[in-house]
Amino acid sequence: MSDTPTRDEQDRPNGPTGPDQTLPEGVSADGTPTEAPVRRYTDEQKYAVFNKEFMPHIDSMYNFAFRLTMDEDDANDLVQDTYLKAFRFISSFEQGTNAKAWLFRILKNSFINDYRKKSKEPAKVDYQDVETTYNSEDAETEHTIDLRAESVSDLIGDEVATALNSLPVDFRTVIILCDIEGFTYEEMAKILDIPIGTVRSRLHRARNLLKEKLRDYAASMGYREQNEE
Amino acid sequence: MQTSLPSSSPGSMKEHCDHQVDCLKMIQVILDGQATEQQIERLRNNLHTCQPCIQMYNLEKEIKQLLNGKMEKKCCPEQLIASIKARISQFS
Repeated sequence: MSDTPTRDEQDRPNGPTGPDQTLPEGVSADGTPTEAPVRRYTDEQKYAVFNKEFMPHIDSMYNFAFRLTMDEDDANDLVQDTYLKAFRFISSFEQGTNAKAWLFRILKNSFINDYRKKSKEPAKVDYQDVETTYNSEDAETEHTIDLRAESVSDLIGDEVATALNSLPVDFRTVIILCDIEGFTYEEMAKILDIPIGTVRSRLHRARNLLKEKLRDYAASMGYREQNEE
Repeated sequence: MQTSLPSSSPGSMKEHCDHQVDCLKMIQVILDGQATEQQIERLRNNLHTCQPCIQMYNLEKEIKQLLNGKMEKKCCPEQLIASIKARISQFS
C-alpha cells in the first residue's frame, strides 16, 4: 500500500475548484497557514460564510466525529475544534467551493493530530499490520467473503454500528466517507490525502473486513434462532 | 445506478465466476456511483448470466443500505452549536 511515500499525482485530479482552494494545505497538519490563496473577507463576510457554508454540515461533521472517536465528549471537542479552526482559516476557503469536503479534511486532520494519540480506546489492531496482511500475495484470491444478502438484511443498526466500530480507524473512515456521507472517490482522496487508487483499494479491504464481522454476527444470530426453536 | 436484477433462470446461469475479485471491485465502483458506462454495461451482462455476481451485487447493495439506512445518524447537540457560535462571535 502506497499510503505515504509514493503519491500518484496523476490519480489526483484537481477537481472543480483547483488543487489548493477547496482543501488548502494550510489548515491540515498543525494549523499553520501556507501557500493557499488568501481571500480578504470582511468580518461580516466571514460570519456569513461560516453560517451559510459551514454550519449546514454540522450534523454530518458530528456524526463523522462520533464514528471516529466513538465517544460523545470527544466528538464534541473535535467538532468544536474543527469549527474554530475553520473560522480562523476562513480566508483560505473560497466561497461556493466544496465546504463539506474542506471541513471534513480539517476534522480528519485534527483527529489524527490531536485525538488519536490520546485516544481512550486502545488500538485493537494496528492499521499498518492489517494493511500489510491484506497486501500479501494471496490476499486478493482469498478475499471474497462467503455471505448472502439475506443473511445480513435482518441485522439491526446497532449491530451494524458495532461491526463498523470494530474496524481499524482508517478502514472505518473510508466506509463512513463513502457509504454514509456519500463522498466521491475524488473528494475522499482530498480529504484523506491519498491517491484515488488507494481510496479504492482501501475501501475494498475495509468492506471485506466489515463483511467478515457481519458474517460473524449473522452466524451468531442463526445460532440463536436454532437454540430458540 | 438503475440496474434491475433479472429474474433468474437457473439453467442459463453460470454457477461459478472466474473473476470474482475483479467483479466484486467493479460492483463496488458501480454501487458507489463512480463507474464508467462501459463498466455498468459489463455488470448488466454479468447480472444476466452469472449467479455469483448477482449474489455479490445483492450483498454489496444490502450492506450499503444497512450502513446508510439503519445506523443511527448522530445529530450535533444544540448546546455545542450554541457554544461554537458564542466562541466565534468573540473572534472579531
